[in-house]
Amino acid sequence: MSTAPLPEIETELSKLPSAVLEAYQEASGAISTAFGEEELALWAREGIAIGTQTVRSWESAVEYYRVGPQVARFLSFPSFMQWARCGTYLAQDSPTLAVAFFKASATIVPNLRPQYIPRWAGLGRSLYKGTWKSSTLAAKFFEVSPDLVRNLPFWDVEVFASLIEAMSYKSYDVAGECLVLGRDVLPAMGREREAFLSMSRALIDNSWREVKTCLELVPRALQQVDDSQTGRFLKLGERLAKTGLRDTSRFLADGTQALGRVPQGSQGYILDLSETLLAASPDSVPHFLRSLNDVLGRITINQLDTWFRHGLELLKENPESGIAFFKVESNTSVSMLDTLSSSLELDRVKGIIKLYCSALSGSSIEVLDTQELVRKNIGWIDEDSASTDGTKVFLPPVVDHYPSKQDNFAWFKVVSTHQVGHLEFGSFDYDFQKPSGLFDDRRLQLEEEVLARRSAPMLADPQEMEPGPGQSLTDIGRFLNLFENRRLAFDIFTVLEDCRLDFRINVEYPGIRRAAKRVQDEALSNRPNITEMALQEALVELLIHMSLEQFTDLPVPVEYEEVAVVLARVLHQLRTAAATVEDTAEATLRAYEIITRVPNETQTEDQWEPEDLEEPGDFSEEEYEDLLERLQANMDASAEGGEGDPYDSPDPVDYRGDFKPEMVQLLTMLQSDQGMDGEGEPISKEMLEQMLQESAELELDAEQGDITNSMSMFAQNLMKEAGTPPPNSEPGQGYGPLLHDDDQGGELEAREPKTYAYDEWDFRAGDYKPRWCIVKEKNVEEGDLTFYNDSLRNYMALSNHIKRQFELIMPESFRKIYRLIDGEDIDLNAAIEAWADLRMQVPPDDKIYWHRNRARRDVAVVFLLDMSASTAEAIDEGRQVVDDRDAPDDPVEYMVWLRRRREGLVRRNYKRIIDLEKESTSLLIQALESIGDTYGIYGFSGYGRENVEFYVIKDIAEGFGDKIKRRIDKITPLHATRMGAAIRHAITKLENQDATTKILFLISDGRPQDRGYSREGVEKEYAVHDTHMALLEAKRQDIVPFCLTVDKAGHDYLKSMCGDMGYEVLGDIWALPERLPMLYRKLTI
Amino acid sequence: MVETDVPEFKEYAIEEFLVRSEPYYRSVGDEENLFTAAYHQHIPVLLKGPTGCGKTRFVEYMAWKLGRPLTVIRDEQSPQGAPRQEMREGEVRVPLVTIACHEDLTASDLVGRYLLDAEGTRWIDGPMTRAVKNGAILYLDEVVEARKDTTVLIHPLTDHRRILPVEKTGSIIEADDRFLLCISYNPGYQSALKDLKHSTRQRFISIEFNYPPREIEAEIVERESGCTAEDADSLAKLGEKIRNLQEHGLQEGASTRLLIYAGRLISEGIPARRACQVAIVWTLTDEPELQRSIEEVVSSIFE
Repeated sequence: MSTAPLPEIETELSKLPSAVLEAYQEASGAISTAFGEEELALWAREGIAIGTQTVRSWESAVEYYRVGPQVARFLSFPSFMQWARCGTYLAQDSPTLAVAFFKASATIVPNLRPQYIPRWAGLGRSLYKGTWKSSTLAAKFFEVSPDLVRNLPFWDVEVFASLIEAMSYKSYDVAGECLVLGRDVLPAMGREREAFLSMSRALIDNSWREVKTCLELVPRALQQVDDSQTGRFLKLGERLAKTGLRDTSRFLADGTQALGRVPQGSQGYILDLSETLLAASPDSVPHFLRSLNDVLGRITINQLDTWFRHGLELLKENPESGIAFFKVESNTSVSMLDTLSSSLELDRVKGIIKLYCSALSGSSIEVLDTQELVRKNIGWIDEDSASTDGTKVFLPPVVDHYPSKQDNFAWFKVVSTHQVGHLEFGSFDYDFQKPSGLFDDRRLQLEEEVLARRSAPMLADPQEMEPGPGQSLTDIGRFLNLFENRRLAFDIFTVLEDCRLDFRINVEYPGIRRAAKRVQDEALSNRPNITEMALQEALVELLIHMSLEQFTDLPVPVEYEEVAVVLARVLHQLRTAAATVEDTAEATLRAYEIITRVPNETQTEDQWEPEDLEEPGDFSEEEYEDLLERLQANMDASAEGGEGDPYDSPDPVDYRGDFKPEMVQLLTMLQSDQGMDGEGEPISKEMLEQMLQESAELELDAEQGDITNSMSMFAQNLMKEAGTPPPNSEPGQGYGPLLHDDDQGGELEAREPKTYAYDEWDFRAGDYKPRWCIVKEKNVEEGDLTFYNDSLRNYMALSNHIKRQFELIMPESFRKIYRLIDGEDIDLNAAIEAWADLRMQVPPDDKIYWHRNRARRDVAVVFLLDMSASTAEAIDEGRQVVDDRDAPDDPVEYMVWLRRRREGLVRRNYKRIIDLEKESTSLLIQALESIGDTYGIYGFSGYGRENVEFYVIKDIAEGFGDKIKRRIDKITPLHATRMGAAIRHAITKLENQDATTKILFLISDGRPQDRGYSREGVEKEYAVHDTHMALLEAKRQDIVPFCLTVDKAGHDYLKSMCGDMGYEVLGDIWALPERLPMLYRKLTI
Repeated sequence: MVETDVPEFKEYAIEEFLVRSEPYYRSVGDEENLFTAAYHQHIPVLLKGPTGCGKTRFVEYMAWKLGRPLTVIRDEQSPQGAPRQEMREGEVRVPLVTIACHEDLTASDLVGRYLLDAEGTRWIDGPMTRAVKNGAILYLDEVVEARKDTTVLIHPLTDHRRILPVEKTGSIIEADDRFLLCISYNPGYQSALKDLKHSTRQRFISIEFNYPPREIEAEIVERESGCTAEDADSLAKLGEKIRNLQEHGLQEGASTRLLIYAGRLISEGIPARRACQVAIVWTLTDEPELQRSIEEVVSSIFE
């Protein structure tokens, strides 16, 4: 095409410096392919316009022509002209600007949408303020903009440009430097860029110099912060900047460093705190973050909250001291950290203490937080004192008595040893009839007397009518009923029993003597002053002092010196390893008789005298009788003087906690009662309530009216705790006609396809109930693939490890095969035999080689997953055990109950047992596929015997594929667990398999239970027996059954359920994904 | 009997090992009577029990006791060194052949095999054959560990026939009158795969062993380790407490043997807590939490 249609243009151009014309001519050839003639003319003319703007604008024109062809390739003609026009305007202002604009255009146009070109030009233009420096800056902007535009969204470029502009008012140099820094730094940022820019923006007004430092710091700094948190962090910076924080860069550096060091996943929490702090006092935020590292070096992230809150309070009261607090420059702060850092949370040592207690007591002990006991609302109300209910030891959630963790742990140990001591040394085994070894038995005699006295008509006042001892439910109750003042008797009993225990523990466990001594001394130092108390109380307090091993320098009322001595003798009598709880009872009886014969009056200062009671001499019954008589005489003499003040209980000794023998005996009784299969008279709720009202163990501050209510509530809760059915669901009430399906009714018929009838073992009858259960086989619905894939990804490392382990099985299965005609080497035994045969002239066997042969792995396995409702339980959610036993009986109610329970778990973001089961299954499948064993995976649940659901996740004959992966997603907690029937059905799956090793692997989360299968009392046994029988049936079919349970209480019943078959109780449910494949591996080698 | 020049050890032919000096055994129940009765009645004995509770010691003791001359007074202890293996008057020879079973123990390891020799082959009796011929107590320790074929081998020996067919030599050996087969077996509480077949099991009377009660165990520990009675008592207490943990993740409780080891360390002057740590805690488990718990029990019991 012709290149010279426009000679007049060339003439025009020739008026400009020759470089322009040259550039035009050079470009016109290339550009003519893109534009039509008219367009070319317009293009050329624009160049002239540019060139003629100012004296030096010809330079811009040269550049315009030069880049024209390149730009034209990316722009349509209108856009092109728009671009050119932008250049023209720029050239008007400053040719340098236009030159830079055009130069940058060649590289920027491919990345910039045409409609943004004018805005882009405008950005550059806005930086130009008519000065030389500003033009350099603007030119620099155009220079770096290709990089910016290529890597950032255009609006970020705009924001950045405006930031630079704002800076340019302060300093062109710094703005220029930031521009270049920005080019390098900004592209690397992700979502946080926007936040960063707005933070920088906020800096301009007060501390614009910070922007540059921030830009320098930010790439490295932000690496320390989780991606998800950077935005929030920068936002925080922005808000701080807005409130006038000057050294934002320092904040950036310190803050990110601090965040980088906090435990994983808690950055969000720290930012929460920072934001809270920001609202209260922005100044303190940087200090908080700066000291965070040190603080977290001393306390855990969980404890941080307490420290932080304290600081926040201070801050509100007095900003100065608040800031000092967060700087860790105040005493309060330091001492608080000391306390916190040495304090010990029960959660951290719970496992150890649990095992420790179990070891000591010989029975399975649960260790729980005292709060849980209070929550149960069965009569314990003090959150701070340790206690035990016979099977559980309750300890306070945190100990911070001492400045070191070790000492605090020692405290836990002393306290739990004391609590377990109640169990180990039999505080709760009190038997009214059992004779005391150290005292003469007076209890029975006293009981008779009391009974006689109470039945005597002279005690007419019905208010004072107390129930006879015979009516008491427990032995302890019976004992305490002997006394008119139950409260006093119980207090004495507690002190003496604790004294006995402490002494015994001291003997049995010399290792904790020192720690115990310290705890005792401390308790002693906190005791109230005896001399200020009324006499009866003072004497009890005296006993407490002695029980805490203080025998010297005890204040004793002069008038009653002998009383004190005899009491000391009684107490000393118990300080022997042979003392039993019955001895304590006898001692209590004596101490009570003495103390009640002393008037409860306060004495003046001078009526006390210090005395040593370390060796008060031996107790003698005669002296005691003698003393009693004299006291009685005394009392009778001064009868008109009244009885003094009413008796008030002493403060409890902290470390000994709450001692409630009556409650414990009651609970134990309730529990064993329900196991007795209804024999004997069950304890009614009314009886319970009455007992509770009498009990001295309950302290209720509530008004009288409330007491009756709380008693009734306690009673109800107590029964629930013990597992007795609440009274309103007594058998015979509320049962619909459906009931007959359970115990009555007869054989069931499997009519529908894919349903099967199975027998069930009735251990009471010692025979099977024929065709008792209907198993319905169903496929699990198909869900999403992601669950399977995610679990593999989440457990990447483990999954690889498992796979490797499984692959290792292969070489293990290489076996030497002897006596072959041909092989790797001579089989020495066979060769010698052959040789011997030859010598003996017997034809030798020619099979004298051995060969390593790959033994074919021949394993078929069926996995049975428990899909019962209890698998919906959150793991480690404070052990809120969902107890299936309180499920209603009525099927309709049951369903409602079930639905309610499941709905509660819909909005969950925690892991459930079933989730771990599913994850483990995914891992296992992967492993199984790698070794090629035949396997089937099934789930089971159901409700009632006519409806045992058997879910196929992967049928044994089915191949593995996406279908299976999808099904895994849909495994959900359903109803109950009738294990026996499910196992029997699983057996049929394996029966037909032709493998040498067959395994039935049962994974469950608790005991088998179902309606009419596992209810209280014997029924519990029924389920276990049936399951056991089903497992035996498997064994008879040459199937190796194995049970894995994640129920920590599993040892209780698994032993009887599995007998000599293999089982394992997984203590740590989180270990399931790891343990399951390993167990399988072990089972099959 | 082979007497070596080196005084540090003594070497016996397997069937000639007699338990000469009385092994210490503290009987807890009637196991001595049962065993003696079974021995006289030719009923094989199965000893069940956890590790280190004294099964092996019991067999040694019984071998000694059954071989002890009934009329002769306690032996005057031969001067140290050479064991006196020549028969004393009135003594019955009851050698003790102990075989620790393992996975690769084959039938021919027990019965015997042909060996090459200058002139050709020579038959060598295995330990079982020797025991059968010499009328020894054959003690197969941890019998479940042995291969299944070896357990079948003992069948003809353990019923009324009391014969050992030696297939390779084509002979049948009728057991000496004094021969008794005794096996031990640790049921474990979780042995999923290893179990005795019933056909084997039902050829024995079973004596169940368990760790002795605290007082007796203290006595044993004191006697065996030479530590003070107080320490022995504490060790026995410790053993009892640790066994309580068996259902809480501990595979096996602390055996009497371990307690004795700890006692020995203590009597050598090692501090009690440390001795228990190395002899008991670390031996029993690798799990940190469990270790810590047991250590807490130790530190409660020992000062």
